[in-house]
Amino acid sequence: MKAMKYRIHTFFKYKDLIRELVSRDLKLKYRRSFLGYVWGILNPLLIMIVQTVVFSAMFKRNIQNFPVYLLTGRLLFSFMSNSTKMGLKSVVGNQALLKKTYIPKYIFTFAKVTSCMIDTVLSMGALLIVMIATRSPFYLTMLATPLIVIRLYIFSLGLSLLLAELEVFFRDIEYIYQAVDVAWMYLTPLFYPIESLPNLVQIIIKTLNPLYYYIAAFRDIVLYGRLPGPRLIWGGWIWAIVMLIIGVYFFQKNKDRFILYL
Amino acid sequence: MSAQNVIDVDHVSIRFNLANQKVNNLKEYAIKMAKGELMFQEFLALKDVSMHVKRGEAWGLIGTNGSGKSTLLKTVTGILQPYRGTVKVRGTVAPMIELGAGFDMELTARENIFLNGSVLGYSRAFMEEHFDEIVEFAQIGRFLDSPIKNYSSGMKARLGFAVATMVESDVLIVDEVLSVGDYQFRQRCNTRMQELLSGGTTLLYVSHDLPSVRRLCDHCLWLDHGDVVMSGSAEEVCDAYEMNQQQAAQRERAERDRKKAASSGGKYDYLIVGSGLFGSVFAHEAYAAGKRCLVIDKRDHAGGNIYTEKTADINVHKYGAHIFHTSDKSVWEYINRFAEFNQYINSPVAVYKDELYNLPFNMNTFSKLWNLKTPSEVKEKIREQIESLHITEPKNLEEQALSLVGTDVYEKLVKGYTEKQWGRDCTELPAFIIRRLPLRFTYDNNYFSDRFQGIPIGGYTQIIEKLLAGTEVLLNTDYKDFIKTHQDSFRKIVFTGPIDEFYDYRLGRLEWRTVRFETEELDTDNYQGNAVVNYTDREVPWTRIIEHKHFEFGTQPTTVISREYSTEWQPGMEPYYPVNDERNNDLYAQYRNLADQEENVFFGGRLGTYKYYNMDQVIAEALKFSLGELGKLSSNG
Repeated sequence: MKAMKYRIHTFFKYKDLIRELVSRDLKLKYRRSFLGYVWGILNPLLIMIVQTVVFSAMFKRNIQNFPVYLLTGRLLFSFMSNSTKMGLKSVVGNQALLKKTYIPKYIFTFAKVTSCMIDTVLSMGALLIVMIATRSPFYLTMLATPLIVIRLYIFSLGLSLLLAELEVFFRDIEYIYQAVDVAWMYLTPLFYPIESLPNLVQIIIKTLNPLYYYIAAFRDIVLYGRLPGPRLIWGGWIWAIVMLIIGVYFFQKNKDRFILYL
Repeated sequence: MSAQNVIDVDHVSIRFNLANQKVNNLKEYAIKMAKGELMFQEFLALKDVSMHVKRGEAWGLIGTNGSGKSTLLKTVTGILQPYRGTVKVRGTVAPMIELGAGFDMELTARENIFLNGSVLGYSRAFMEEHFDEIVEFAQIGRFLDSPIKNYSSGMKARLGFAVATMVESDVLIVDEVLSVGDYQFRQRCNTRMQELLSGGTTLLYVSHDLPSVRRLCDHCLWLDHGDVVMSGSAEEVCDAYEMNQQQAAQRERAERDRKKAASSGGKYDYLIVGSGLFGSVFAHEAYAAGKRCLVIDKRDHAGGNIYTEKTADINVHKYGAHIFHTSDKSVWEYINRFAEFNQYINSPVAVYKDELYNLPFNMNTFSKLWNLKTPSEVKEKIREQIESLHITEPKNLEEQALSLVGTDVYEKLVKGYTEKQWGRDCTELPAFIIRRLPLRFTYDNNYFSDRFQGIPIGGYTQIIEKLLAGTEVLLNTDYKDFIKTHQDSFRKIVFTGPIDEFYDYRLGRLEWRTVRFETEELDTDNYQGNAVVNYTDREVPWTRIIEHKHFEFGTQPTTVISREYSTEWQPGMEPYYPVNDERNNDLYAQYRNLADQEENVFFGGRLGTYKYYNMDQVIAEALKFSLGELGKLSSNG
């Protein structure tokens, strides 16, 4: 209990550092380019347009609003993918600092995932534009969006901690994870309807691909105007919390040895 | 482990696994595992290290690279966890971060100040409060809103230092970062650190720059390969460390010399004959220039006539009083590299029968002689005395001296002393021996008129030892015997013995004046109350008595005095002063002609050039010769 209190205390002591790190990431991303924030929206929009042109013909019959279908999936997947890729490097990338001064190491991972989340929220502007452009109806259920983002945020944080820790010990995890990331993207129904897959694969994805829970739930509230079923909600929470526990457990267990490998 | 200790490091060991450190990817890990090579290779970066730092103390950590200094700092900061032992820090720690480590190059200085501050654990509100202070100290003014990738390294260092030291944290850690930046900035850093220290901040300071450690720190910990070698006052530890480093450097150098000797058939670059000041200074410069030298001396000690020997805890000037004085700043700085000098001022006293006078001849002397007070009265008196003698063309030394200083000064202070020095009457001595007798019309007893004056604390022998450090020295070795068996062992010879001896006196002998000393220890703590007392009446057989302890303001229970006698020089006696009369000067010129034809033999010093030198002049000559011969001089430090 005392240890817990101490941890919370140090977390608050470094809250300004987290704020500085997050604002640094966002500033660097948006400020130094000509179009600034517009890029944050334009980028997912352009990719969406390309993919719509390519894939919409294939799946037209099954999907009612392909651009929105695609963008909902992409936004969440990009959030998870970007935050874990950056989170993976968060400890190793700050080694110069960690070697010189004591800072709780999870701060850097935490800050990266957080800035990715804010980035995602900003990119949601693209989704709104597409919904208006395609005359997609706005449902009340969309108000539940933050709940889904938080679940995915917790999940990404847990996974990032695990990857950041592994990266310290094995630097080639980075490349292995890149391959995993690509496979993961194809095994997630981003631009195809899950129904078009064979039954067995469908079942496997619906159970074991955590992203399915978040994306399916997101599409429910945005595209179909309905509340997700309990399986999607609870499945999403369980994945998020289990991942966080795994990540925190291994991170805490090995954090004192990090310095020896930096 | 008392409560006021800010840092307690108790029996700390830090362990690294060397084998694991090299394997940092999965592929190699798998290969090593398959081969069964994943063994644990233990390496202790710190072994049982203890350190207790009280509030407000400044500790320097010194040691060679890889000795564990930075590891200890990391342990104190909390970056490394001890494998054994405990570390307790009471208070906040502000680490001085390595150049740019806390900065994001893309961000502006303004943004980096907040980022870096938060890295150090300060709140944003706090940083805002101190923002102006930091900007002012870092002197980045109009560049405040430029990305710091455009900054110079000095500007980055200034910014880093400003952020780290603006708060009076309990412990400030500085790891070798102050070497950057310009002189002015380093000065301000030092001032700031002094301020922090006097404000009660505890400092841990790692540096290879010992002078700065000595200046800033009061305590020191010396680490070597993870072990504590020494811990204590900064001065003592730095001294011991410096000594150790020098020895290590000398061992390394000796090793190199051995290899060089082996490859050059055992040849030395220089044979230096005589280990007096000239020979030793040249040996030092040659060593620094990477030359291999052998110094030989026929005496049983090095140092020539400046040699001092400790008797009854007093540094006795074995070959007469040596008082260092010079107006040449570079010579003064040079000699101060090898010893610390005290504030001794030579003001000898003359005893004539039962009267006592100050020397040199100055207003104190005159007022005692004639009971006069003002310079004009004294000048008048001397003029009267000189005029009444009616000497126009001085025929001998007596007349010469009389025409310079008048009857009283001559009779009481010059006559007897000079006659004892030369062993005959002044009327029989040629006039040229005394060209001038300076009279000083101020109340100033300082014998020399040089800017710098003093006696090396601890005697002259240490200077010779330091000059000859690393150079091979053969004592009790006479050049003539030695060269018979070692003719081909040297490329060049520097000869500081008598030049006529080198040529086997083939043109005749040069003449010298010599002095003899009778030294004794007396059972009194103060015999004559002054280092030098001249006896100017002829009836006392000695010319001077030196009481050695007064050179260093000694307070020993007994005293050592040397009575100095002038003696007629005979071949075989120790030569002291050249007799620069016409005959001898001519003879020397002939020897000089011979010497000029030598290609690989050089003559130096008082004996080698038949010329009276003070110590500072010998050093200047030796340095001039070294520069010409070696092409460069050793730098300070």
